[in-house]
Amino acid sequence: MVARLWSVSTPDRMPFHPRQLPSGILSLTLAVVSWMLALCAGAAAVTGQDRPAPDPEAGRAAYLQHCARCHGAAGQGDGLDAKRFYPRPRDLTLGVYKFRSTASGTPPTDEDLFRTITQGLPGTNMPDWKHLNDATRWRLVDYLKSLAPTFADTEPSPVTLERDPGPQRADLAKGKAVYEQLGCAACHGAAGRANGTSAAGLVDDWGLPIRPADLTHGWAYRGGQQPQDILMRLWTGIDGAGMPSYAEAVSPSDAWQLAYYVASLQEPPHWNLIAHALVVAGDLPTAADDPRWASAERTDVRVRNVVTPEGEWRHPPTVRAVSFKAIANDEAVALLISWHDPTQDAQAPADRLALVLKPAGLAGDVVSLQAWPSRGAPPLDLCHWSAATGQAREQVVPAFERLEPASGAPLASRATYDDGAWQLVVQRPLEQAQVGEAGAIAKDGLTAIAFAVWDGGNPEARAVSPWVDLSIRRRGRDTSIFPQSIDLPAGRQENRTVP
Amino acid sequence: MTRSQALSPVLVAVVVAIGCGSGLPAPSEARQAGKPQEASATTQRRESPDSLQVAQAQQAAQPAPGAPAKAGGGSATIKGTVRFSGAAPEREKVKMDADPACQQQHQEPVLTEEVAVNDNNTLRHVFVYVKEGLPGPVPAPTEPVTLDQAGCWYQPHVFGIQVNQPLEIVNSDPTLHNVNAKPAKNPPFNIAQPVKGMKSAKKFAKPEIGVKFKCNVHPWMSAYAGVVEHPYFAVSGEDGSFAIPNLPAGTYVLEAWHERYGTQTQSVTVGEGDTQSIEFSFTGQ
Repeated sequence: MVARLWSVSTPDRMPFHPRQLPSGILSLTLAVVSWMLALCAGAAAVTGQDRPAPDPEAGRAAYLQHCARCHGAAGQGDGLDAKRFYPRPRDLTLGVYKFRSTASGTPPTDEDLFRTITQGLPGTNMPDWKHLNDATRWRLVDYLKSLAPTFADTEPSPVTLERDPGPQRADLAKGKAVYEQLGCAACHGAAGRANGTSAAGLVDDWGLPIRPADLTHGWAYRGGQQPQDILMRLWTGIDGAGMPSYAEAVSPSDAWQLAYYVASLQEPPHWNLIAHALVVAGDLPTAADDPRWASAERTDVRVRNVVTPEGEWRHPPTVRAVSFKAIANDEAVALLISWHDPTQDAQAPADRLALVLKPAGLAGDVVSLQAWPSRGAPPLDLCHWSAATGQAREQVVPAFERLEPASGAPLASRATYDDGAWQLVVQRPLEQAQVGEAGAIAKDGLTAIAFAVWDGGNPEARAVSPWVDLSIRRRGRDTSIFPQSIDLPAGRQENRTVP
Repeated sequence: MTRSQALSPVLVAVVVAIGCGSGLPAPSEARQAGKPQEASATTQRRESPDSLQVAQAQQAAQPAPGAPAKAGGGSATIKGTVRFSGAAPEREKVKMDADPACQQQHQEPVLTEEVAVNDNNTLRHVFVYVKEGLPGPVPAPTEPVTLDQAGCWYQPHVFGIQVNQPLEIVNSDPTLHNVNAKPAKNPPFNIAQPVKGMKSAKKFAKPEIGVKFKCNVHPWMSAYAGVVEHPYFAVSGEDGSFAIPNLPAGTYVLEAWHERYGTQTQSVTVGEGDTQSIEFSFTGQ
């Protein structure tokens, strides 16, 4: 679907038509071009050729305009929005930077800072600042360096990486063995789902709770998701966070195999704006191992913690995304919903998930689950599954807190938990007659749905998704509704950084 | 398995261990008694499970790391005791169930070491050193000081090291440790030691008291180093005593540093061949 989204905009820019070339030459050419582009993308963004002469006043002005809101007027990571965020904005006066090309404990290079400003940090609230011109970004680099004495005291010590053996020589079995040997699973989990035994107790160097990266979420790798980015993190560590440098702990060739293996754990996300159900005749799947799921379209949605007065940072999110597939027949729809949760919690507070139906007649994102229930907000129809009962039930409630595990109409469901991942199959009638005020799922059209997720092991954090349209089409897929003309809602822009 | 289910065997084990009141001593309790002036890595080793013997054997061949060097010094000695009064926080049992490789090495509960008050109302793990009065820096020995990770526990918990003296950090555990050192005056580092037997060499170029080491994988682990420009330091031991031998005659300011209770200083004059006794006293809040 993402590929489709991109493809609608690419033909205009294509310098030649693909059909003009034999397919073998085409694929070879594309491979070479994309390889060169990948090389250039890393290098071109950080060359210092256009670096202007230092101008402290201009740097400070740019900082106050663009950075201070989060990083604070004095750079202490205490801006207006800082408290809401996880990860928290960096205290720039400490000179401790996570994403470097330098040895553990040494400051970043100027190019490292320029790259982070230019590219932002995926999976965090640090956006990219490509829209600022190069001169402004270089002045910001100079200004950031002036905030921390470490830049005057300590020289950056760039690390050198061995030559990339290339994907042809990647040995994923060897990489997996290195992953196990180096103890990566202690934090990142055996399958990379951020559910290692030490994951829950991690704190950063300032004593604040922190979570390891979910290595299956390549889209949220802060420092880049390519094998060379992963190797750089392994070599430099992530200063201030728990991730140590492995430069002295593993041979360069093993490290490359590990980097390719970690890259292979990434599950490409499908950030569809419209999730298409597979329409079938007859019974719906009741379990995750039903072979028909393989034919159904996968859709991923980001979930974010509901903002509390305390701020997100005190209870870092453990559930970051939900993916689902839908199969419908004439009467009902079955959803296969999966999400990562580092602990299986069957006793209160238990792991829970709710499929939320948007009330008919509300346009746009009027009822954001982040803000629900706001004053005058309607009650919502929730298909609520709890690990405590192992059951799903449907209720219409005015607030999440009013959900009761034992009341409402029972729904057919089955859930399994394996190594940091839940899989839930739940069936819901298109027309729910048993629940008063219940919403309906359009039998032949679009219905807005969303998800709320609770991790019982992280009970202060409730995560909710934006709305996504579930499409059930009876007469084949209607391609006219593909979103050429639909603007991405704010906040989903970062999701488009998908290869 | 739910968290509570996972915990229950641990709870049972702890309850049984308390009920029996026997078995192997906890690492912090099991240090060999006596020899207060050698409150160093060697004497503070606990009685070893098999996995620790290699590291211990390697160390046995070396002089006591962190102990004052004999060469170049005088014949005066300052010795004393670190007394403790007031209420001490209870030493908590460390939960190691997050990592079976740690848990399996301990039959008895392990207690936190932050405030370790001895039976004779003295305070352990106090770093005592000559702060002022020496004519200048003393060259560092080439023998390394060893900081061992054994039983998911730093050994020793507090140690002294000279500026530019090699620090050998050893992983004696069959599990991943990271060594996250957070000095303020020296460059910090955070390195991984994923494999048993791994060693890393580090140095500190500037004097700095209370350099903290921690392990993010096992957040209960912590150690502190006193980095000084000379060999005249000691760490209070299981009877609260310390001794700094081989000093030249002179008048010195001694400082006692504790991770929770901060620092105290006092001035001492000692003559050639003499031994002076002093006392520090920390009070719990």
